[in-house]
Amino acid sequence: MSLAQRPRPETDRDSAPWWRAVRRHELTVQRCVSCGTPRFPARAVCNRCRGREHLWVPVSGTGRVYTWIVNHQVFMRSMADEVPYTVVAVRLDEGHDMLMYGDLVDGDPAELHEGFPVEAVFTDVDEETTLVRWRPRPRDPAGRASSRRT
Amino acid sequence: MTGFRDRTAIVGVGYTPFSRDSGVSTLTLAADAILAALDDAGLTVDDVDALATHRVGDSTPPWVVAPALGVPEVSWYLDQFGGGSVSHSVVAQAAMAVASGVAETVVCYRAINARSEFRMGGTGRAPAPVFDAQYQAPYGYFAPPQQFAMYARAHMNAYGTTHEQLGRIAVAQRANAVKNPRALKRDPITLDDYLASRWIAEPLRLLDCCLETDGACAVVVTSRERARDLRHRPVLVSGAAWGGGDSFLSGAGSGMTGTDFTVTEAARIAPRLYAMAGVGPGDIDVAELYDCFTYSVLVQLEDYGFCAKGEGGPFVESGATALDGALPVNTHGGFLSEGYVHGINHVAEAVSQLRGAAGDRQVPGAEVALSTAQPGYVLAGTSALILRSDP
Repeated sequence: MSLAQRPRPETDRDSAPWWRAVRRHELTVQRCVSCGTPRFPARAVCNRCRGREHLWVPVSGTGRVYTWIVNHQVFMRSMADEVPYTVVAVRLDEGHDMLMYGDLVDGDPAELHEGFPVEAVFTDVDEETTLVRWRPRPRDPAGRASSRRT
Repeated sequence: MTGFRDRTAIVGVGYTPFSRDSGVSTLTLAADAILAALDDAGLTVDDVDALATHRVGDSTPPWVVAPALGVPEVSWYLDQFGGGSVSHSVVAQAAMAVASGVAETVVCYRAINARSEFRMGGTGRAPAPVFDAQYQAPYGYFAPPQQFAMYARAHMNAYGTTHEQLGRIAVAQRANAVKNPRALKRDPITLDDYLASRWIAEPLRLLDCCLETDGACAVVVTSRERARDLRHRPVLVSGAAWGGGDSFLSGAGSGMTGTDFTVTEAARIAPRLYAMAGVGPGDIDVAELYDCFTYSVLVQLEDYGFCAKGEGGPFVESGATALDGALPVNTHGGFLSEGYVHGINHVAEAVSQLRGAAGDRQVPGAEVALSTAQPGYVLAGTSALILRSDP
């Protein structure tokens, strides 16, 4: 793995608090103070009620895979030693329309299906940046995915 | 709505050769395509009073092209930011400028060295600034083939769409390109060839992807009245639509908040488009559907109403989209086999078909055509045109 060579996120003024929380290994989304709607990615204005006030609230870090790819082509030389790698699009358990992306760790892409339960993993890649990645959610003895917090 | 319908016409089309390395600037490509389109129309640079293009920091704008060609006076121009999704809005806005009286004769062009200079895959330049790339690029997810693979997988999950169905699109379009002297790829391929081609990003293979191409294409738009005095049977701009729905600026275009990846903005604009032109899907004789990847063709067959949602796979498997099928699609071979000029070569091919001038690949009696832009993935919104031959 050449995590240290990966592209760094180009954060903006809206998203900076989200990335700071990720650095603390906390997964958060915004919640509109006016109407209560949770939202991600970071935006200054609620697109339901146009409210400007929001809170950053923690989420469980669990979700379900909606769709995924297994990437083979080397689009970026710095990731040449990582192919093939799997990228998942995850719907957060707190909201169907909140999607987060990340690479699949400790999992076999052949086992993926829509609804596959995953949980967030935080990986510190250098002194400033932490990335959110996803791994299969551990199963309880009954075979159901647990909902434990990370 | 009907104030726009059939008021303007496309009267000329022009191309540069398509290649992997043009060896010239995008300014030279633009100039060559524009001059060819004017010549095709029986017009000269002195007749031009407006220019329109789109680009993503990768081409030469109208305010450089116009003086380079010696256009005497520019009364309107459009330098639209954007990629494939806005391609057809450029022609639509040119038609609006003519219909409103602001301009009389507009040349629309797109000139790119998409192989030798600015490759969309990320080499040769910094990627275009996409707002939500920060949440994706660190995981090695940023290139168009990856994004469309993600959407194609969602369609497979939801509707059982198969690799073979995607492959049928590539095979059918190559068969059309065999009949197109301009096409970059003219060797026939089989479904086995498709299935044997290497993975780019599963579920997409090499033969699911369009051809990175150097080249330019231009079309000339003027009023219907003026068109009748020119060289060719006019091709009328019957309908145009662009934009998107409530997801337009909310991030769905970058795959961040959309609730359903299997429905595109094409489904949103299609009713407006058909209403403006006064036709329905059953009236379309030929469809040039944006094919950056095979999957974008499949999903647009559904979203423009040629089959039900989820039935795109069986529809292409039936042979309906072949040159001799009920709805010939991408008669020139499309971006997969003719070449990728980011959208406008679909408009030019539709014009050739409606003139009855498409040679060996002519669809007999084609009178109404649909031509479409990238359906709204990646950068939000889409655009499309319905064209018809002047009765």
